[in-house]
Amino acid sequence: MKITLLVATLLLSATAVFAQVAKPIEMPYVDYPIAKGDHDEVVQQYCLICHSFGYILNQGQKSRPYWTGTVSKMVNEFKAPIPKEDQQTIVNYLVKHYGYESTSAGH
Amino acid sequence: MNKINRRNFLGAGLLLGASTLLGKESSKKIITDTTGEFVPPVIAFPEKKPMKTISDRPPLLESSRDIFTKTITPNDQFFVRWHMPDIPMYIDLETFRLEVKGSVEKPLSLSVDDLKSKFEPVEITSVLQCGGNSRKFYASSGQATHGVQWGHGAMGCAVWKGARLKDILAMAGVQATAKFVGLNGLEKPAVDETPKFFREMEIDEALSGDIIVAYSMNGEDIPYLNGFPLKLIIPGHFSDSWVKMLSEITVMDEYRKSFFMDVAYTVPDNDCECVISGGDFEYKRKPIAVMKVKSVIGYPTPNTVIKKGSRINVTGIAFDQGKGIKEVMISLDSGKSWGATTLQKDNGKYAYRQWNYSWEPKAKGEYTIMVRAINRIGNIQPMPDEIGWNAGGYQYNGVDAVNVKIV
Repeated sequence: MKITLLVATLLLSATAVFAQVAKPIEMPYVDYPIAKGDHDEVVQQYCLICHSFGYILNQGQKSRPYWTGTVSKMVNEFKAPIPKEDQQTIVNYLVKHYGYESTSAGH
Repeated sequence: MNKINRRNFLGAGLLLGASTLLGKESSKKIITDTTGEFVPPVIAFPEKKPMKTISDRPPLLESSRDIFTKTITPNDQFFVRWHMPDIPMYIDLETFRLEVKGSVEKPLSLSVDDLKSKFEPVEITSVLQCGGNSRKFYASSGQATHGVQWGHGAMGCAVWKGARLKDILAMAGVQATAKFVGLNGLEKPAVDETPKFFREMEIDEALSGDIIVAYSMNGEDIPYLNGFPLKLIIPGHFSDSWVKMLSEITVMDEYRKSFFMDVAYTVPDNDCECVISGGDFEYKRKPIAVMKVKSVIGYPTPNTVIKKGSRINVTGIAFDQGKGIKEVMISLDSGKSWGATTLQKDNGKYAYRQWNYSWEPKAKGEYTIMVRAINRIGNIQPMPDEIGWNAGGYQYNGVDAVNVKIV
């Protein structure tokens, strides 16, 4: 994991009245664990365009209707460029690894 | 226009071979606790101490509960929540400008120095709380909600300094036809077609006294991840319109429909702002706005072990939408009986109010400490099983509870 505390160093050397960062900040990259199999490569290819896997892991276990609705929201509201058949692959992956089968829209 | 070095993190490279890229760097082991709930890693981001990292892109960082023993949240522990993955990693104040445009007599292009020198500076101490803060506690009311499951740590309180929005609008000269003000900052989506993060408010609200365009947070520049160099401050309101890296103020004659106003951050438009039956999105919507009365325990934290006979200072904070806290009650027996806490100094109607209770446990065993705030207009926090539910998990203000063990 890469953590650059460039900015913290600058802050320490600067006065409180002029804490402005003089160089670009560098963001750490977090290697969130991603369950393998069931076409995780499709999930990564599309979901990670806009957000980290933390968005999935920190939602808790969700129902099939929930994950179906969430993938639809990504496509319809956020305009994620995910082909129809891949949307279904992603939903199946999410239900299997981060959810449960259910027909009711329980959250 | 603005010269801004923008680093698009991993960006489009992910489209080509995500697994390969992601495999490059090893990370601290990320664990799952025994209940199966994911435990986010704790990582230091620029200008921040290590914080619970719900996401690195866009960055979502949560403060730990012990922060609620302080009435002012330090900048390096203040929570972070962005909506878009592409955030400028460097801003040059020589070229950065806040544009004021639309239905105005004279469009403005203001530098941060202009804001500091051409307007009367105003200071206000105010709570900043994410609309989805404490969302995970809806699950204890029986039904979990949409969205990442924040604990209480998506809020903080700071001293903000800046120029009044109404003074800025007065300099530009609002035209008589104006009805709304649109606000946006420099964050950008990864896909061009994704709706931009855009917020709107009615012109009357924008011209009210308390809203400021802040350039300072707790006496320092605003940290990058909290919206350097400018952030809109709307005291008493949830933070969804506290636009970070504020770059454009557009005065408009017509409301502009947008995802972030009409779909996200909305609740059912009824008295309880909650779902009574059926699905949430069957209801007419309204955007969340003013905050609800709330108190949170800062010490002790959950599962603290305390020696029998020792005296501890149970403490935390309370706040509301600006009416003022009247009382914070405490229970040491899971809500069966309630006593009074001592309210500390009043730091302003939009600030955290600290409360204390000196407790000397006399018997061993498990205890549940609960606190419940009432404000000056009689609003009281609901018990978790009484709270009105909404699918987005917004506006949670159920009574807080912490389990401790006396040995």
